[in-house]
Amino acid sequence: MSSAHDSHAHDSHANDGLVHVHVHPASTYIKIFVALVFLTLVTVGLSRVHLGNWNFFIAVVVATIKASLVAAFFMHLKDDNKFNVLIFVGSLIFMGVFFVYTMNDTQHRGQWDESYGTKVYAPTGEAAPGRGQYEAIKLEGGHGHGGEHGADHGAPSEAHH
Amino acid sequence: MTMQAGHGDDNELHGHHGLPYLAHHFETPVQQFDAAKLGMWLFLGQELLFFSGLFVAYLVFRLWYPDAWSVCSHELDWKMGTVNTLVLLFSSLTAVLAVRSAQLGKKAEVSLYLLLTIACAFGFLIIKYFEYAHKFEAGLLPGSYFAPVAGHTISSVFPPGSAAYFSIYFMATGVHGLHVIIGIGVIFWIWLRNQKGEFSAEFFTPVDLVALYWHLVDLIWIYLFPFLYLID
Repeated sequence: MSSAHDSHAHDSHANDGLVHVHVHPASTYIKIFVALVFLTLVTVGLSRVHLGNWNFFIAVVVATIKASLVAAFFMHLKDDNKFNVLIFVGSLIFMGVFFVYTMNDTQHRGQWDESYGTKVYAPTGEAAPGRGQYEAIKLEGGHGHGGEHGADHGAPSEAHH
Repeated sequence: MTMQAGHGDDNELHGHHGLPYLAHHFETPVQQFDAAKLGMWLFLGQELLFFSGLFVAYLVFRLWYPDAWSVCSHELDWKMGTVNTLVLLFSSLTAVLAVRSAQLGKKAEVSLYLLLTIACAFGFLIIKYFEYAHKFEAGLLPGSYFAPVAGHTISSVFPPGSAAYFSIYFMATGVHGLHVIIGIGVIFWIWLRNQKGEFSAEFFTPVDLVALYWHLVDLIWIYLFPFLYLID
């Protein structure tokens, strides 16, 4: 909040060391609240229209608009110290890394297919990565944990038996 | 910027010592204010990362079990979810109005808005209680406790992954609900301090910070609501 005042170099308060914030009129907050209620009803309404995969995408976009309004106005990030914005956005970026790396794994796993003795992508039936030592464990040990996503629990070292 | 405000300005500085709310290790009130906000934002950043684990789990399992997600989502009461969303949004409005009143030094208004925020928080929990009660009755419970009771559920068939949906449902709403309960406690504490007259137009940092926490609780719910209740 103080940074908003830093931009006013001629502000007589700028250097007195006291806290000065711009007090927004209550009507600003009420308008934001009305916008948030409106967007909530939009989300509910659109969820009842069948748009396939677009439903999820739209839900994420509308929620993000709502979250941005809350962060910018209710949480005062709009006129706050920019360093606080950096912390907030920085956290979001690391969340993005968390999502992308995890999806890159979990969305590219095959499932163990008994009859073919290999891993396949369930939706398409194509061969999936995850071959090699894993099959060897399954055949030798015979403890076929055919768990849907757990076929590769065996430690690689077991293959050297 | 504000950090330098105190240096080379001794006349100003002397005026600040003796301010009851200024801790001795801060040069000026504005330095103290900025430091407190920075600390709060670091905490909120941590909160986001903390919740992100649940959101990642949600997405992984939703993509693995889209049918289960769709069927189970319809077991939730979207009307109750919508009302709860509106209650939380309204509580965010009262929280920010409490901050505004604090900035203006209007003690009575601050107390009123804080109490309204607490009332909304209780309203949210009461609605959540009715939702949970129904889930328990219907056997829509997490993981190995998942045992749907015929006649109590909307769907008669639950695809594989349904138990995972309710694990994530209870974990996400449970951890969020815990934040609501903690929020009630800290807002009440700030209300008490406000009643004692600790805050003024010059010093309202704790009101500001508790509202930031409350908005984050709202922010998380803004995502949880469509993700859990509104799956086509």
